Amino acid sequence: MAGFSELIKNFDKTRDYVRDFFIYGCKVRSDFDRKSVRTYGDEKRRVESWMGDSMRYDDSVRGRSVSISVDSGHIPENPLYNAYYSKSFTDNDIRLHFLIMDILEDGGSRTLREITDILNADYGQLFDEQTVRNKLREYTDEGMVIAEKQGKTLYYSLSADRADDYVRDIAGLADALGFFSETPHFGIIGNSIMKMLGLKNELFFIKHNYMIHTLEDILVPEILEALNGKRYISFCTFSGRRKKTPDEPGRQNQTVPMQILVSVQTGRRYLAAYIPALKRFSAFRLDYMKNVKAGDICGEYDEIKEMYDRSKPRVFGVSFGMRRDTGAVAPMKITFFADEKREPYIIERLEREKRCCTLEKTGEDLYTLTADVFDPNELMHWAKTFIGRIVSIEGGADSVRQRFYSDIAKMNRMYGGDEDEHIQ
Amino acid sequence: MNIFSEIYGTYFRIAAKLLENEVTDEKNVRETVQREGFRDSVLFLPQKLLPGEESWGLFSRMPDGTLRRITKKAPVKVLTRLQKMWLKAKLSDPRIRLFMDDENLAALEKRLGDIPPLYRREQFGITDRFKDSDDFYSEEYIRNFRTALEVVRKRRIVCVEFVSGRGRRMSGKFVLLKLEYSPKNDKFRVYCYLLRNDKVRGSGIINIGRISSITDTGRVFRTPVSMDEYFSSRKCSSPAVIRVTPARNGIERFMLEFASYEKHTVRDLETEEYTVELWYDTQDETELLIRLLSFGPVIEILGPPQLRSQAAERVRRQYELLCGNNEKNS
Repeated sequence: MAGFSELIKNFDKTRDYVRDFFIYGCKVRSDFDRKSVRTYGDEKRRVESWMGDSMRYDDSVRGRSVSISVDSGHIPENPLYNAYYSKSFTDNDIRLHFLIMDILEDGGSRTLREITDILNADYGQLFDEQTVRNKLREYTDEGMVIAEKQGKTLYYSLSADRADDYVRDIAGLADALGFFSETPHFGIIGNSIMKMLGLKNELFFIKHNYMIHTLEDILVPEILEALNGKRYISFCTFSGRRKKTPDEPGRQNQTVPMQILVSVQTGRRYLAAYIPALKRFSAFRLDYMKNVKAGDICGEYDEIKEMYDRSKPRVFGVSFGMRRDTGAVAPMKITFFADEKREPYIIERLEREKRCCTLEKTGEDLYTLTADVFDPNELMHWAKTFIGRIVSIEGGADSVRQRFYSDIAKMNRMYGGDEDEHIQ
Repeated sequence: MNIFSEIYGTYFRIAAKLLENEVTDEKNVRETVQREGFRDSVLFLPQKLLPGEESWGLFSRMPDGTLRRITKKAPVKVLTRLQKMWLKAKLSDPRIRLFMDDENLAALEKRLGDIPPLYRREQFGITDRFKDSDDFYSEEYIRNFRTALEVVRKRRIVCVEFVSGRGRRMSGKFVLLKLEYSPKNDKFRVYCYLLRNDKVRGSGIINIGRISSITDTGRVFRTPVSMDEYFSSRKCSSPAVIRVTPARNGIERFMLEFASYEKHTVRDLETEEYTVELWYDTQDETELLIRLLSFGPVIEILGPPQLRSQAAERVRRQYELLCGNNEKNS
């Protein structure tokens, strides 16, 4: 495979491939017809290199399928962080990095001219001033170098914040890094500090761990910038169902961002945003977003945010329904059976998981949950975890209730029951 | 500022490690690349580090064959602004108190100065976290957590008194292996082995929040412990086998929700259905069962028999409940 590089320029492409290997599991090369065979081969080889023993291969008549199979609760470090550690660079980038760090290591301040001269005189490295200036500017933005004006001249020095000093002087920080580097949000950044110091997480495992979220973290800083600046945000969305053509530009969205919503049970993260053109809130999956750009300041931001905060108590998951504004919706009432003496844990579960709903005892061993929510469909996905205990469902949309009844009838047939009665 | 930057990259990190010593040799370069790099780095990276045509020029070869770095000092480990912003954000996370006392928190805050946090907690909303999360502000909880952390690190034998999930008071001698955190429950638990006469008598998991006392015996458990063995001892003997249909975007929803499981998937090209084998901790069987049932008829639990029969029993009860109501109403 001539020309293969372990390093990548384009994070988006890698995101697509890793996601497909990780989520779908049983795809073969011909399923990835979005790009050339070589692109597929290169991406596969990189993922194999990061995931090690977690890669799984299965041969079928269609070809060899590649998947990632790992119990993410049983690994000390998210292997997908490697995607972030694979950024390509030029020879000058790495040379200048270590040389500038070496020159400024003593804590002194130097001008661009002085640094360029030292590179030449002490290290025998000839760089033009423009190249050195660009690198210094880049490192100033990264916060590694401090640029200060004295008169008309800029002086550069190295930031005094050293990772090893922090960890040596602040008791408990190393363990905190170990924990936070494997948990949301932005565990990758904590991991980068650990790696810098040669530390490893040897204490923690994370259950219900959606490792794939780390790949979406690439988008989140821009979203946060828009949130902080009360700005509009634009991005492209592509459909998960049209998986063969994610290279298409996707649908452009112009929105006002409100909050990042995280589901710790379904593995999805969303941007909750206001769509001015439709005058409604919506939630966009982060894993189907690309090209996020913070835009102009939104003059009405505070009013929209207020409206969002008023709406949120009626959102069971992430759906704001199809309504244009807040207002009354027919509350849904679901009554559950739980033996108070023998099954107190069911009542505890209802209390623990009810979210924005209210729960009241309505009879002997009967508990009724009232849900005044925008989208009862979201509620029903959760309610089905109580299959075997749902005594009645009232209110909400007819279609939602009918779907539940029909689902139960189908499941009854599926699991070998007789269906000789009609339920509605 | 970008997380996806070469300054955090594996190649830069390997170069930094090698530049720590004034003099090194080719063998060390290759071994470091092998140990610290990606799987194939040894094919691409040594020629960039060693003097030669493709070299970055970070080392020069000495007459005795050793390699001398071109820099004068070992590379400094400067924190970037992004890393400091991340640390600042963590300062407002209550869980940081489990690791650091007030004095150290104040020291970290002071060092970070006027660096803004990378995010504010309210900018992220968790939609479906359980309400009974651990109390990370409780002094007793913090004390127990720190003791657990210390004995895990030193593999000491401890006496633990706690309340089990079923409400029974329990106590015994344990060796604590690792800590586990669940974002869904917002709770810490600790993996452990129960000991009798210093011999392993069983494996378990204790919620930190249910511990009433934890006493370090000062003795170290010296028998080597393999986490793989611990996890295997708790794993199901045969996997859950699930048929997933494409209805209601079922494949995508199911595969994403169960992405955190070890699994094997086979796709039927004619029906576009997937058959998925999932391996799970036997203690989590009920949790798995109810999560599977929440998918309704989009999926079918094919096996193992005890899992399928539990599903069938719950569905039968549900069907009867609804039919009964229907009869009453008619």
